[in-house]
Parts: sequence; C-alpha cells; structure tokens
Amino acid sequence: MGNKQTIFTDEQLDAYQDCTFFTRKEILRLHGRYHELAPHLVPMDYTNDPDCKLPLALIVNMPELKENPFRSRIVESFSEDGMGNLSFNEFVDMFSVLSETAPRELKAIYAFKIYDYNVDNYLCKEDLEKTLNKLTKEELTPEEVELVCEKTIEEADLDGDNKLSYADFENMITRAPDFLSTFHIRI
Amino acid sequence: MTSYSNRGFFNPAYHDSETLEIDKRSSSKPHHANPYAGEDPYRNWGARTELTDQTPRYDAEQQRTAHRGGWQEESWRGGEGIPMGPVSTHQHDLHYSTFQIALDSQYDGSPSIPLPSSMSGNMTMRWRGLAMRRMFPNTDPAHVAFTEDAIRNQMENEEQDRVNELVAMSTRERIRAIRELPMSFEEKKHIRNQVQAFSRKPHHFTIFEGCSENVSLSMRRCGYSVRSTRQTLELWHGIMKEIGGKFGSSVLSYFVFLKWLLMFNIFSFLINFGFITIPLLVYNHTPNVPPNVNFRGLEILTGAGYFSYTVMYYGSYSNETLVGLVEYDMQLAYFFTIAVYMVLCGIALIFSMASSFKKNYTLADLASNSAWQLLCSWDFSVTNERAVKQRTNNLSVQLKESLSEKGQRELLTLSEKVMHFGVYLGSWLLSTGLAVGCGASIYYLCQYEQQRATDAASWSLLQEAETLLVPFVVSLVNLVIPLFYSLFNKFEHYSSQRRQIYALVLRNVILRMSILGVLCYYWMNVLPDNFSCWESMVGQSLYRLVIFDFFFLMLGSFFGEFLSNVIGTRLLPGLGVPEFDVARNVLELIYAQTLAWIGIYFSPLLPAIQILKFFILFYLKKVSLTQNCQPPRRSGRAAQMQTIFIFLLFFPFFVGALSMVAYTAWRLTPSEQCGPFRGLNNTFEVVGEWIDGLREIPGSEWAVWIYQHVIRSEIFYFLLTLFILVIIYIFWQVSQGRKELIVLLRQQIVNEGKDKNFLRDKLQNLQKSHPEKHPKQKKQKGLTKQRSDGHPSGGQSNSNAMVQALLARQQLEEEEEGRSIEGVPVPSDISTSSALIQAMMARQRAETHSEGLYQTPGEHVSSSSTAARQRVDGRERSTDEYGSSAIRTRVRAEAEDLDYLPASSIMMQAMDARQQAEEEERFQWVPAPPQNLAPSGSSALIQAMLARQQAQNEFDDGY
Repeated sequence: MGNKQTIFTDEQLDAYQDCTFFTRKEILRLHGRYHELAPHLVPMDYTNDPDCKLPLALIVNMPELKENPFRSRIVESFSEDGMGNLSFNEFVDMFSVLSETAPRELKAIYAFKIYDYNVDNYLCKEDLEKTLNKLTKEELTPEEVELVCEKTIEEADLDGDNKLSYADFENMITRAPDFLSTFHIRI
Repeated sequence: MTSYSNRGFFNPAYHDSETLEIDKRSSSKPHHANPYAGEDPYRNWGARTELTDQTPRYDAEQQRTAHRGGWQEESWRGGEGIPMGPVSTHQHDLHYSTFQIALDSQYDGSPSIPLPSSMSGNMTMRWRGLAMRRMFPNTDPAHVAFTEDAIRNQMENEEQDRVNELVAMSTRERIRAIRELPMSFEEKKHIRNQVQAFSRKPHHFTIFEGCSENVSLSMRRCGYSVRSTRQTLELWHGIMKEIGGKFGSSVLSYFVFLKWLLMFNIFSFLINFGFITIPLLVYNHTPNVPPNVNFRGLEILTGAGYFSYTVMYYGSYSNETLVGLVEYDMQLAYFFTIAVYMVLCGIALIFSMASSFKKNYTLADLASNSAWQLLCSWDFSVTNERAVKQRTNNLSVQLKESLSEKGQRELLTLSEKVMHFGVYLGSWLLSTGLAVGCGASIYYLCQYEQQRATDAASWSLLQEAETLLVPFVVSLVNLVIPLFYSLFNKFEHYSSQRRQIYALVLRNVILRMSILGVLCYYWMNVLPDNFSCWESMVGQSLYRLVIFDFFFLMLGSFFGEFLSNVIGTRLLPGLGVPEFDVARNVLELIYAQTLAWIGIYFSPLLPAIQILKFFILFYLKKVSLTQNCQPPRRSGRAAQMQTIFIFLLFFPFFVGALSMVAYTAWRLTPSEQCGPFRGLNNTFEVVGEWIDGLREIPGSEWAVWIYQHVIRSEIFYFLLTLFILVIIYIFWQVSQGRKELIVLLRQQIVNEGKDKNFLRDKLQNLQKSHPEKHPKQKKQKGLTKQRSDGHPSGGQSNSNAMVQALLARQQLEEEEEGRSIEGVPVPSDISTSSALIQAMMARQRAETHSEGLYQTPGEHVSSSSTAARQRVDGRERSTDEYGSSAIRTRVRAEAEDLDYLPASSIMMQAMDARQQAEEEERFQWVPAPPQNLAPSGSSALIQAMLARQQAQNEFDDGY
C-alpha cells in the first residue's frame, strides 16, 4: 500500500470517489491502465495534477475498446477537445459513465453523444446510417440501410421532425431495459 | 421594469427553452436524478427565483475573480447573508441594472474573450457560447459582449442554482447527485468543492456542527473503504469480465445469477451454522453415534448411515437448554433461525424482484424493434474479436430478416391456423401428460422404496444403495424430459422467439413443480407414519437429491454442450456449434436452490453442500462454455428474461418451499425420539411455551399480550388481509389511471411536435414572403437565411420566433432603461417567458401592422389569427421544453411509481402559463391600450403593453 499512496493524495481520491462511481481501488486500477498505455508519458505521481493527455490512437488500443465498433466515437465524446485526446480525468469519466452503477439517464446522455456523429444534437439519418454501417461492417446494401434507418426514425421519433432528438432517444432507452446492462464496459 | 426584464433574461425557463438541447439537459437532468428536486417543481422554481435575486449582490469584479479563481471562499462572502427561505422578489431592481451596465462596458471591446469555464466544460459553456454566437452572427461587438456576458451570468446562475440545491441535500444524496451530473470530472470536482466550501461556512461557529461534519466525512471514507474491500472480496471478477467479453451479457446473466445464489447460500450457511450448529458443538461436540454404525464411504452419496447421527440433520439436535456461559434454548434457536432465514430470503427475493420489474418492465415496448436493434442492442462489454464479428453478422442477418418479414407479412390460411393450433394443443397435452406421468411414477417409486426400507438404526450396504434409486430417477427425469420439450418446441411455429421461450420455460416449471409436489406429499404424509425420526429421513432424501442433481448437472453440461459440440463439429457440421441455453441452465439452478430451501428445516447444514455444488458448477460451466459453445445468435432481451427468472424463483419455487416448511411447522407432529422439538404437538408450540415462560418475568406482559391478541387472533389476520386487499385495489386503480395518463401524455408530445413543426413552417414562410421591413427585420432575415440555407452541423434549429423574441427583448431593455417603472411583483417565472413571447408577439404584430394587414375588421381577424398562431408557436416554444420535459418527467414518474403530484404541478404550471398567455392575448387585442394600466395586472401584461407600445413606435417611425 505504501507506494500506492503516492499516486494520489487522500483528498484527490476522495474527490474521485465523490464524483465518479469508482472506489479507491478502481481508481488506482484505472491509473494503472492509463499508465500502461504510455508508460513514458504518464507519470506515476499524480499528486500535483500533471497536465498529460493521451491521443485517441493509444486509447482505442485498450483491449476493452479495441473491438468496439464505436471506439473512436466513445473516446471523442469524452474528450474535452472533441478530438479524442483524453486526460486521466476524462479517462476516469469515460469508464465511470460506462460502469455498472451509473444511472440510466447519465448513460443515455453519453450514448446519445456517441451516436451523434455530426454533433448537432440530433440523431439524423446520416448519424443512423453511420451507426448501422459500423454495427454491420457495411454488409447491408445502401437500400437496406436506408430502409432500416427510416424505420428506426419512424419508430422512435415522437414529435415528427424526422430526426431523433435527445428526448426521443431517452424515451426509447427507457423502453429498452437491456440498455443498462449492455452500455457497460468492465474495467 | 428593467429589473423585471433582467429577470426574464436570467430566467432559466427562457434559456433552457431554446438555447440548446444539451444545456437543457445538463441543467434539468439532475432534477430527474434526485428525488427532491424532481418532486417539487415549485420549490425548484422558487430556488431559481432566489438565485437570480442573489446575483446582484456580487459586484462584477468579484464575479470575475470568482470565476477565474475557481470560486475561492471569498466569493461566497457576498452571499453569506442570503436567506435560505423564500426571498421577496422586490429586492433586486436597481442594483441589477447597474450591474448589467458595468459588465457591458467592461467587456465591450473584447468580443472573443475566452469564456473562463469553457476550458473545463465541453458541454455547457462552449455549446452555449457557440449557440449564442450563432444566433447573433452579424451583431456589433457590444452585442457579442452582451451575449457572452449574458451567457456567463446565466452559467453562473445555473451553477449557483445547482450548488444551492446540493447544499440543501443530505451528504449522501449530495454525493449521489454530484456523481450523476452529466459533466466532466473537473466540473464535478469544482461543484463539489463549492458545495463543500458553502456547507462548511455557516457551521463555522458551533463545535458540534464541525464534529458532525468530521464524523460524516470519516463515515463516508469508512463507507468507501468497505466498498473497496467488498470489491476485493468479490468473486470471479476476471472470469466474469472474460465471459462478458466473449459471450455478451445474456450468457453472463446466468453466471451472475449463479453467483447471486451462491451468496444466498453462504449467507444461510453462516446463519444456520452460527446460531444452531456452533452452540450445539460447543455444548456437546461428540456425535452420539450408536456403536454398530461406522463410516463406510457410501454416506457421501446417500447421506444415510453415519451421517444421520451428525449435526447434518434435524434428528441430532437436542431439545435442551444449553447451559454454558448463558442459557441457550435450542428449541427457540432452531425455530427462530429457520423462520428468520425464510423471512429474510423472502424479503430479499421480493426486493430484487420488484427492482428488476421496475427497471425492466416499465414501459417496455416491443414495437420499436429496429430502433432497438440499431441503437440499444449493441453490447459494449463484448471485447472478443470473434464474438464481435459474429455479432455483426447476426445483426445484419436479423435486420435483413426483419426487412423481408416486413415486406411479406405471411397470412395464414384457415387450415394452417387449425394445424398450428392442433400442434400447440398436442404438445401442451403431451408435455403436461409427461409431467403428470413422471409425478405419478415417482410417487409409486417412493412407495416401493418405503416398503423396502426399515426403521432400523443401521442399514445394510444394499439397503443403503437402494435409497439412491429415487433421486437417480428424479434427476434423470429432470435431465431427459426437458430434452423432449425442446424437441416439441421445434415442431411448433411460434410467431415470436420470446413466446417460444416462455412456453418452454412454463412446461419445464410444470414438470419440476409436479415432481417436487409429489415428493413433498410423500414426505409429509407417508414418512411420518413409518419412521421414528422422519425429519432426518426427509433430510436424507433431500441430501441425496441435491447430490444427484449435481451429478446430473455435470452430465447435462457434458451431453448438452460437449457432445453436441463434438457432433456439431465432427459428425454433422450442419448442426453447428451449440449455443449456451440460458433458460434451461437457469431453471436447473432454480430447481437446485428450491431443494436447498425445502431442506433447510430438515437438514440445517444443507447450504454447505449447496455452496460446494455451486462453486464447482461455476467453474464447470465456465469451462464448458468457453470450450464448447458459441455466443448466442439472437441477442434476445436478456434483462426481461432475468426478471422472469427471478420471478419464477420467487413464485412457484420459493413460495412452495416456504409453504411446505410452514406446513411442517404448524401441522405435523415432530418425531418423539429425536430432534429439538421432541415431545411437542407441533413445532410452533415452542413459541407458546416460551411465552408461558415469559409470563413469570415481570415487565414482559406486553409481549404476552401481543402474542395472545395479535399473533394468535384470527380477527387480526382477517383485518390485515382486508386492509392489504383494499390497498392493493387502490394501487391497482391508481396504476390503471396512470397507464391511461401515459398514453394521453405521449399523445400530447406527438401533437405538440406536430404543432411545432406546422407553426414553424408557417412562420418561416411568412417571414420569407416579407423580407425587408426594418433594419432589424433584415438582420433576422439574414439569420433565417443562414439558418435555413446552412449546414446541418449548425443545426441548432433555433426558431426564428425565438430570435425575434430575443431581439425584441433586447430592444426593450435598451429602450426601457430610462423608464422608471419599478419592479412589480412577479407571479412566476413562466409569466416572464410569456411576457417574452408577448413581446415577440407584439413585434410580430408590428410587422403585420406595417404590412397593412391590420386595417379592416375582416383582416383584423385573419391577422389576429396568424399572429395568434405565431403566438402559440412562441408560447409553445418557450413552454415546450418545460412542458414536454414535464410530460416526460411525468411519464417517467408514472413509470417508476414516483409520487406524481409534483410532475403534475409542472404540468399545471405549463397549463397556467398557457392560460395566462391566452388571457393576455385577449387583452392584447384591445386597440391602443392605455400605457399606465393599473399595476394590479401582472407585470407580464405590462411588459406586453410596453412591447406593444414599442411596436407602435416602430410602426410610427417606419411611416
């Protein structure tokens, strides 16, 4: 335990525990994972909040994300600059939202961000097409993609504006109980 | 007046309504998340009012430092005197306008100052800034400064809002609320520090408060470390992750269930061992085995012989009061341990069942299939390359299937329907017949066995081996018959996979229930007459069943998974690699657990066997799964299946076991020669004797009274049942009402969306058809164009109406700064936004006015109707977010059975606002309203009047 204490101060760990869904141990584990990604870049000592960011390319290579079709979108949604560079805090944020204990509302907000490729706060048809192509590895014909997207919008769009607002998305999520367990990455 | 308009500007209702979706979320989400805020909209709105009042107390400089310096404590000094109770809305006026001006001048020449908190906020500040800039692209720097300023102030307000809300909560709630804020860690930390600074400040003086603060901090740390340790002790974290990564969460749910049952058993073992066995062992640690009985090895299978004289079974517990350090009444201990354990199990099951139902069955909607498949079905926990590939393949196949199904909905002919019906009927008859037949044959087998067995102290090896026949047959039936059921299932044509699974599960449940029912009947009615220590005999039978069930589970995974894997890969490649059948495996677990529950009374240490069994089973299944199986082809809705399984575990199985144990305790005479209850008429008499004993102790009359008048009185239970029935009926009615309401509210959302679109189109058309009227108008026009021409990425979809409202508002502020109408009491925030709309309306009317549409009475009507429409549009726009979010809150509240009054009060507010708006509208049409209208009218009205006046001024200017 002795050398573990030096990574974060107790106050920092308290702050992490108050603001995320992780325990002290998990925070340390996450730090370990973050450190592993770039041992020469990430310092072991985080007591004075070093300003260190890892690029998207490094983060999506984590085994947890490597095979995920949305890996870059996930990382981008959680990065402050929108380019996918993650500081350790953002890294913790990401896995906190994706953890088991995060509530449905929080998960829905970030899931919406992940699916919203063009960041216009609506899931429009292009977003859905991109999502579908990632999910099926472009095995469907363009017509099929079109059809599926249309059907999706038709099913989930409540207010009839032909795109899914967050409200529509949330409404759909509340009817899909599996979402809580599937929007979850174990660390 | 000025103050009023400022308030309007800072009114979150107004901002949230249009600025940005994300903003709205970030500010309104926590209200859902925390129960208090969500419950009482009036309180929240009240809080907002307070906050806007507080803002002027800071001067501009302080605010800036506060922002840059990360809210040092000094910045709070200004706010120290803030009363937490409701603040009168009169206080703010003049300060505010100076504040506003000061800031304006400060930021005047620097339109692009980096927004301080934008460095940390990737959701709130940046977005808002962009949105606002987009709204005023052509304005002069002063405007930009004004905007940024406004943004900043609003941000601050929101933040303060949030901080105040958080401060008002208890520590635990506060932490939860902070955790659930949808923002980055940095921002959360910032807010947390603020909250901590704020909540510490007032308590500075009393030592007691300081102490309690410290205590709560150390409690929290303690709680965290407990959580940490629990995680360290958590079993199989790595294995679970691996399984989830390879097979997805539906297969994982089986292992989660297994682990949950294991924990259940560990708990029950600890209870039984601690309260029943340990005292006995301490008192008398040598089992009194007759001399001619010794350990032969077969006992491990049969549980008979040597084992029946150990603490394994009911029979070897004494009925004495153990006198050691304290007196320990074995009878009472035995009775209450079992009773408490059963009750705790029931409570745990009910709670997990209820929470699972709440989570998974509220609003669950099967209609939106492709939306679900597209946006919710992807399992983020899958990390294995092959599994991902398979999943994407499956998904595309499923999507294609659903498309083709949609193309040609098969219409069945009558003969086909009859045939399907016949198949259903046949397979149901057959499977029920099989279940009944198995039950009957097992009953006869039991009788046969009972004839052979003797009530001797020691059995010959052969006799002992014969006892294995019944458990063997039972387990065999449990293994083989479900295979037949699966076979039937292949011939039936179910319209959905879900129904197919339900039918399969139901048949299996019937089979197991009939077998267990027969066995219980035999144990309850036949054994007590034939054996002197019949409880131990029942315990032994259960022990054998548990052991054999374990063997057959192993065999099952060998045949079910390994063999079909071999066949599928080597012999008949068409079959393919088997999938892990979650339903069948979970049912097996449920059955195994039921055995343990029934056995708890007859063999208190049975949970120990069960723990061992589940522990081995976990590894076995894991190996079998990773070696033999492939991920499931269809990603079914696992969460609902899980709910069904917990329900099954509770309803026929746990309730059955409970009633069996209860029947034994109430009705059956315990055996005379052995066990803790020897000599009693029934087990429950223990309590009566204990109460009789209590009579002699002074001061315990109340316990006696309760026992005689409550526990033993039928009328009490009768009344209780009536009461519960009444409550159930009321709740049922309430939930029916809510269901209807949900439908209505959903319909309302849809309608509002349609209205919104329609009116927006109208408004846009109208504006396009009259492009150049005023310089201001031109600006808006440009905006509109930019918006409609432009890019979806900018698609903030701010309505023009909103922009207009903003501009009108701004103009109002500029023009009315000089006016000396003092702040008028404000009814509510909504009135502000309606005033806004009013202003916008007036503007709109000014346009129509200038177009000369407002001249003849007939046209008056038409223009008023257009304007009214626009007005409705505007109203809808601003109330929309609150209204519809209220509706959504409502829907959710309905769904999650929260108290719905608050949500409806939001609705009420929205309705009020609407009504008010309409009333005001009526007023509006009075030609040439007197400017000095009595202040008794709402200030919104006054403002509207002013807007109108201003509009007329413009009209005059124009001509």
